[in-house]
Amino acid sequence: MFSNDGFLTGKASSSNSGQTHVFTSFPNSAVDPEDEHFGDQSSDTDKLVLPLPATAADAKPEQSYVWQIEYYQKYFQIDTQQVLERLAASVTPRPNKSYFDSTIRQNPDLYGPFWVCVTFIVTVGISGNIVNYFHLPDAEFQIDFSRITLSAILVCLYWWLMPTFIYFFFRWRLNRIEYTFLELLCLYGYSLAIFIPVSVLWIIPINWLQWTLTFIASLVSGSVLVVTFWPTINSDHKRLSAISMLVVLLAHLLMAVCIMFVFFHISDSNINPKSVTTLATTTLSSTSTLTATTISTTTVTPKAV
Amino acid sequence: MDTDQAPFLTTSTQGIDMIEGDITLPSNRTNSNELSTLDEPVLDTIKRDLGAVFRKFGYAVIPRHSSTLLQQWDLWGPLILVTTLAILLQSNATKSSAGAQFAEVFTLMLIGSIAVTVNSQLLGGKISFFQSVCVLGYCLLPLLLSAFVNNILLYIPTKSTISILHIIRFLVVMAAYAWTMYASVQFLGQTQQPNRRMLVLYPIFLFYFLIAWLIILHAHPK
Repeated sequence: MFSNDGFLTGKASSSNSGQTHVFTSFPNSAVDPEDEHFGDQSSDTDKLVLPLPATAADAKPEQSYVWQIEYYQKYFQIDTQQVLERLAASVTPRPNKSYFDSTIRQNPDLYGPFWVCVTFIVTVGISGNIVNYFHLPDAEFQIDFSRITLSAILVCLYWWLMPTFIYFFFRWRLNRIEYTFLELLCLYGYSLAIFIPVSVLWIIPINWLQWTLTFIASLVSGSVLVVTFWPTINSDHKRLSAISMLVVLLAHLLMAVCIMFVFFHISDSNINPKSVTTLATTTLSSTSTLTATTISTTTVTPKAV
Repeated sequence: MDTDQAPFLTTSTQGIDMIEGDITLPSNRTNSNELSTLDEPVLDTIKRDLGAVFRKFGYAVIPRHSSTLLQQWDLWGPLILVTTLAILLQSNATKSSAGAQFAEVFTLMLIGSIAVTVNSQLLGGKISFFQSVCVLGYCLLPLLLSAFVNNILLYIPTKSTISILHIIRFLVVMAAYAWTMYASVQFLGQTQQPNRRMLVLYPIFLFYFLIAWLIILHAHPK
């Protein structure tokens, strides 16, 4: 029955010279199905995973729900080094290498964009209050929280609305599904990173300097966005692609100009803060309708051609 | 082969061994404490709890390696600190807007602590929600002291926009900020993997930075 090495052999084959072994005792497999986590790049060694019983068919033993923290942890699988790389790459436009492919494609995260936006809001709030502090006489100065909330709403709206527009534009006008919504959010979040040092420099009350900073900053980060989107949008309709890239750049510039006007621009010392904020909101609403109409006209023109 | 199987067969014919023992726990300290803390005089309870709070203040101000702050967390210290800071940061207010100012500062600190804690959990940290809020609140003590000093310094009259007094105030608050950061890094930095430590510490830096600037920009006491 048993051959020399302990394995069971078939009776019929034991008399042959070329024996066929039928192995019945298997060593334990070293491969655990839990080792290949879906989308898990970093070494997440603090998760205690018990070995599956042999009858389990499902590869993922844990099932996390929307109300648990673990459900959202998959958007935060990132290291310090990667965040720094992405930040540096978002301010250096390179015509050959798409910033997106080299950094974000494998692992879109939400940590970077969220905290870049929050930092931007905090620095704008603090710098705006500093400008007020030096501008108003001492008795009238008070920390103005309504401006912080206004800047928070502006920045967060920009961060969410532009990817929404672009996502729908890519999917339904161009029929190309290259970018998921999360990747677009990530892109736009990191593109705001250059405005953080700029918002500190906006304190300097020199008019032409403020405008120059605004233009340069929005051009640099806008060009990173344009370079990223260019391969997708480069279709036959050259005019359509050019116009849409222009819209992206203009929206970026517009956001920067709005922030600058609401918080920093001291062109007229009699400007009432309330009138400035109403001016900003009306400008924002009118230009958002303008952007929407521009997109709709660009969608209409290909049909005319 | 038969000899292997023999004990298997024979043991089942015998009776099952009775295992005897006592599963009751000996009456431990917590049980007796729970009964006795209901009966003890109120002054004892207050003294004990206040002593715990002040001991934690000591740990937060002079950071040592002790697990008291993390394991026996409580939210009294943070509550006292945040309320005092919100009162100190009121300025020149009319009767109606004083409440609004207090609420603004309080809400800011609350939302800030929640954001920092959720961020640390999302990045895989091993700290629970209330532990993190406790540590963040207790480490606020140096900034509170600097707000006191700030308010006292503001009573000295000054004429120019940027005087030596402004610089002193700025330096005092920045020193307190550095102290606060050092204390919270000691406690919260250890709970995270090394390659993500900066990612967790940066929101804490931002939170305390915002509070420090609120104190610096606070220009007129009531």
